[in-house]
Order: sequence, then C-alpha cells, then structure tokens
Amino acid sequence: MKKKVLAAVMSVAMIATLLAGCGGKSEGTAALAEEKKEEAAPAEEKKEEASTETAGGNYKFEIIVKSYQSSYWQAAVTGVNQAAEELGVTVSCTGPNAESDIADQVNMLNSAINNAPDGIGLAACDQDACLDALQTAMDKGIPVVCFDSGIPKAPAGSVLSTIATDNYGAGATAADNLYAALKDKIANATAPVRIGEVNQEATSESITSRGLGFIDKFTELATADGKSVAVIGNEYYVNNCKNAGDEASADIIIEVAVPAQTTVELCATEASVILNKEDTIGMFGSNQVAAEGILTANGNLGVLGCDAAAGDILAAGFDAGSVIKSAIKDGTMFGAVTQSPLAMGIKTVETLTAIANGETVSDIPTDGYWYDSTNMEDASIAPNLYD
Amino acid sequence: MSKAVNKPAEKKVSVFSKPGSQKLIVLLVVIALFVFFSVFSTNFRKYTTVLSIMDYSYYIVLMAIGVTFPLITGGVDLSIGTGLICYSLAGGYLIVHCGWPTWAGMLVAVLFGVLIGTLNGVLVSIMNLPPFLATLCTCMITRGLGSICSKGFGISWPTSGSEGSWFRDIFKVTIGGTKYPLGFLWVLILVAVMAFVLNHTKIGRYTIAIGSNKEATTLSGINVKFYHIMAYVISGFFAGLASIAYSAVFSTVQPGTGAGFELEAIGGAIIGGVSASGGSGTIGGSLLGVFVICLLKTGLPYIGLQANWQQIITGMVLIGAVMVDILKKKKTETV
Repeated sequence: MKKKVLAAVMSVAMIATLLAGCGGKSEGTAALAEEKKEEAAPAEEKKEEASTETAGGNYKFEIIVKSYQSSYWQAAVTGVNQAAEELGVTVSCTGPNAESDIADQVNMLNSAINNAPDGIGLAACDQDACLDALQTAMDKGIPVVCFDSGIPKAPAGSVLSTIATDNYGAGATAADNLYAALKDKIANATAPVRIGEVNQEATSESITSRGLGFIDKFTELATADGKSVAVIGNEYYVNNCKNAGDEASADIIIEVAVPAQTTVELCATEASVILNKEDTIGMFGSNQVAAEGILTANGNLGVLGCDAAAGDILAAGFDAGSVIKSAIKDGTMFGAVTQSPLAMGIKTVETLTAIANGETVSDIPTDGYWYDSTNMEDASIAPNLYD
Repeated sequence: MSKAVNKPAEKKVSVFSKPGSQKLIVLLVVIALFVFFSVFSTNFRKYTTVLSIMDYSYYIVLMAIGVTFPLITGGVDLSIGTGLICYSLAGGYLIVHCGWPTWAGMLVAVLFGVLIGTLNGVLVSIMNLPPFLATLCTCMITRGLGSICSKGFGISWPTSGSEGSWFRDIFKVTIGGTKYPLGFLWVLILVAVMAFVLNHTKIGRYTIAIGSNKEATTLSGINVKFYHIMAYVISGFFAGLASIAYSAVFSTVQPGTGAGFELEAIGGAIIGGVSASGGSGTIGGSLLGVFVICLLKTGLPYIGLQANWQQIITGMVLIGAVMVDILKKKKTETV
C-alpha cells in the first residue's frame, strides 16, 4: 500500500513538473526533448563561455540554429559570437542535432521563449512547425529575427527581419552557370538528357527555394533555346515548380531526389541512382550535405568532371567545407554557390541589438556567390569559403 | 495381452528446425533481391553498383558482427550507432586538428569503443541495469560526447590523395584502373574469426550459455559477470572498427548523426537468425542479414521508389524475419 501511494505521489509530481515546464502543453515528446536539450547543453555551455567574457552584456539573446550538422552553421555561430563580443551582448546558441529533428527545434524555441530573452534569432528547420511558437513569442513581446531560412507564413509582426541569402536566386545562379556549360551538349543531343537534383529535404525554406530556383531557371533557359523540359521525382518539387512538363516528350528531364533523412549516406544513395543513368549530364546538390553526398557517390563511379564534351557529368554544389573545396580545386566538382554564413551570423546579432535599442529594422538579403576553380582564390570570394 | 507400448511420438522435423536453415533462407533472399533489382533496373547491374553496396555496408556489417554478441546474451547494444560517430569524431579531431598520425587516430577510435563497451558491460552485468536502458543511456552520452570531442565541428578524415589517407586504401584498392572492394575480404576474414570465437572459444560458448540460461550458467561456477561484460566489450570494439570504416567511405563525419545506424545493424543480425530473445545466432547469418538491409537500401531507389517507401518496405521485411524466428522457435518446441 505504501509503495502504491509513493508511486502515485511521484507520478503526480512528475506530471505536474512536466506540465509546468512545458507551459501547459503535454507533449509525448516532452520528456525526450528535455533529455535531448540536455545533450545540446554541453555544446551550448561552450558557446556561452566564449560569449559571457564580454563586459556589460546588457541584452540577452537566444540564437537557435538549424543544426550543428555542417561547418556552415559553425561559421554562422562564429559570426554570432564575434558580433556579441563587439557589441557587448550575451548570446546563448542552441540547435538540434540534425536538420530533420524538427520537433526538437520547436521545443528549443519554446524553451528559449520561456527564458524571456531580449530577442530570439532563429533558423527554422520547417517553415510551418514554428508558427504557434512565433505567435507566443509575439504575445510575450519577444522580437524574433529569422536567419538563413525565412518563415513566409509567420504571423504578421512576429518576425521583424529576415536575414537570408536570396535562396531562390542562389539556386537560379547555379542553374545559370550549369546551363552555360552544358548548352552545347544539350543543343547537339539526339536523345533526351537528364539533370539530377539532390535536396536533403522538402521542408525548409532555404532548401526548397534553392531547389525550385534551380529547376525554374534551368527550365526557363532551356525553353528559350527551344528545348522542352520535364520535372520528375519528389512530389513536393514536381508540384511546386513552375512547369513540370511531360516526361514522354521532353528533351531534358530534371530528376529530383530527396532522401528519407538528411544524412550524407542517404544523399549518396540517391545520387548514385541518378549518376548511374546513361543519359545524365549534370547534377545539382542544394546544400553541403547533398553536395558531399554526390561526391561520395562519385567515389566509385568516377563520372564527374568539368569537360562536358568528353562525357563528364558536371556537378554544381552549394556552400563550402573542405571536401567541396578540394573537389572543386581538383576538377571533380564543376563549381558551387557559397553563402556568407559569417556575415549572416554577425548581422543577426546586430539586428537584434538594434531592435532592443528601439530602432526599426527591415529584411537584409545576404549575397550568394558562384565560385569554381577559376575564382575561388579571389579576395571577394575566399573569406566566405569556410572549412 | 498388454497393450502395445506407445510408440514414441513421431519427431516432426520441419524445415525450420534444421540448424542453419535460417541462414539458407536469408542467402536465398539476398540472391532473390539482387536478381529482382538487376532485372528491373539496367543501371543496378553495373559493377560500380556492387562496389557502392559494399562500400556503404562495411560500417553496418562491422557493427552487426559486434552486436551479435550482446544479442545472443539476450541483451542489446543501442550505443553502437551514435558511438560510431563519437569515436570517429574523437579520432578524426586528433588527426586533423592535433596533427596526430592516422594510425594513432584509428587506435584511439577503437580504444574509445572498447571503453564505452566496457562501460556498457559493467552497467548491464554488475549493476544489473536492463541492457536496453543502459545502452540507450550510453547512446545519448556518446551523442553529446562526440560533439564535445570535436568542439561541435564536423570532421573530415584525410581525403584520398592527401597525406595520411592510406586508411582509405584498406577498404578499396585500385589495381590497373579497376577498383576492388578489399574491405569485403577483411569483413569475410573477421566473420570467420568471430564465428570461430563464438563457437569454439570460452568467450563465445559462455556468451551463448548466458543467453540460453543465465541461472544455470552461474550455478555451473562460470564467472558469468566477466563473460557478460566481454560480450559488450566486443560490441564496442567492433563499433570502433566500424567508425574507421565509416570515415574511410564517407567524406565528412558530422556530430549529432548516427542515431538509427544501430537499428540497421541489429535488424540485420535478427534477419540473419540471431534470436530476438537470445541464446542462438551465427555471425555468418548476421552478415547475410545486413546484406538484405543494404540491398534494400541501395536497390529500392533504383526501381524508382521514393525514400519513404523504402523505409516501409525495409520495416516489413524485418517483421517477416522476426516472424520466421518465432515460427522456428514454435516448431522446435513442439518436438
């Protein structure tokens, strides 16, 4: 009897703390999210140690990145900490383990809101999942700034500024450069040719915009030259591009592959399938993970290169990192589009500080640059090519 | 006249109760899958596809060889997936950022695996935590540890052609323009060695004994605690080896990944005949079971199935495998 009473009391206490901690929402994933947040804590503490050395620290900001999965985010966090030190504010950076851990990020966002910071910087994994939390933040008077990935359907007034690369334009830039290199091959082709696109997911604004930007621009350029284009593969991209065309009669088939999880192995598997097809002449990977997946798949096939006339498949990537950079240098990868993650991180903290100081702010687009073996050492490009 | 003595009940020998029958079934499934994909996709039939399947399977096979031991004891080791990433990050960090030679980084990765394996063993064997819980906890610990070791950075072990990249040649060697999956040879050797260990050495036999009947084994005077710990140490050791295989095949290792790898290894072992409740299993079977999973993972995209269908089908195959295991147990029990 005593045991039962004790067990009942402890269960009630546990549920009560859970309810209190989750602000009334009892999610099944709450307990797991608590544990996952504690794992993120070691990473978080390291960042805090770096930034609380500044004097003053008037404002406290919470920054939530999309994940710690690639060096792109490490560069962004470096920018965040740099700006925090210069401006004398305190930042606390967290993020889920993988960019597909959408529920984790929403929980982190809710925790950040509960910490009542002076502002929140967010790079959303899923454009629709954060809407409720954003409403809560706005009700509590916490300004939110989005970076890297915007949230187009955010409640009016909740997101005060979006600092991101024009992702749609960046995808289009990749298409411009890839099409220019493949133009002759396409014009002289006697049978349909294939362009592969690997996107790590179909949920975040940055990836979907880049993917669609590439598809739409490539289609536009090809159609202007009198060729017909069809888009096949993952339903999201097929349904949201401007013109999916007809596969049976198309001269160019754009095949879009999206793996089940945002990991390099799965991207590599999807890329292998397309690289193995006889009619493939070009590939596009819309972020670092996808581009590295394409390179891994090429490890066994050896079909990538820079000489379309000789039969090489031209691959365009995104972002930087040591693997992509060395692939571009040695000619395996044709080129890539880089963003300015460092600048993005810096501008996020600057904007949050400006808001806290009472200034009005607006969206800040950061630039994306095409780089290949010919210009990657240029002074304007090189600083963005993080390791 | 006395009634005729009852004849002893006819022993029903079903195909399921023959030893090694599950392995045969799995081998047939592997061949069937290979034929199926080859027929339905011309691009699947290429030699390079076989190379890719091999490459992407090494780390899972190595994990499966190791995890067979805890599974046979009736337990499980969930920490091998995130552990693999953690060991790779630790070793890689020393190589890339501290300038250690590659072999030293590899050694650290493997020793780290043995360390966590020992921790698992102690938690399960001495402190009597349920294996599922104990290894789930070490899984979470290694997930965070990996990030700490690499200071949050992803690590790229030396890429092909650069200094210190000889470890990639262990798994794939180019002779006269053609690439050969050398790693498969090592895998076969390891399978043979560990099969010998399982069936003909104390460690192996007592592991099986612990899985069959722990009480009886203890009462026989065997140091059950030690051998129970050893099962997890072996699992950790192979997770360390798997971390090297993963780093050799994939360009960058990212912190926070790895969750899910262990399910592929454990699923493969169970498909291959390791009993879900412990007490029986073979290393060769685990190898074949992992190939079923790898074939599905690599082959399904070739027939045009989107990623989500791949996961559904893999799950269904796993259910099928467990059902065969249960049926097999039922048949042997009705003798």
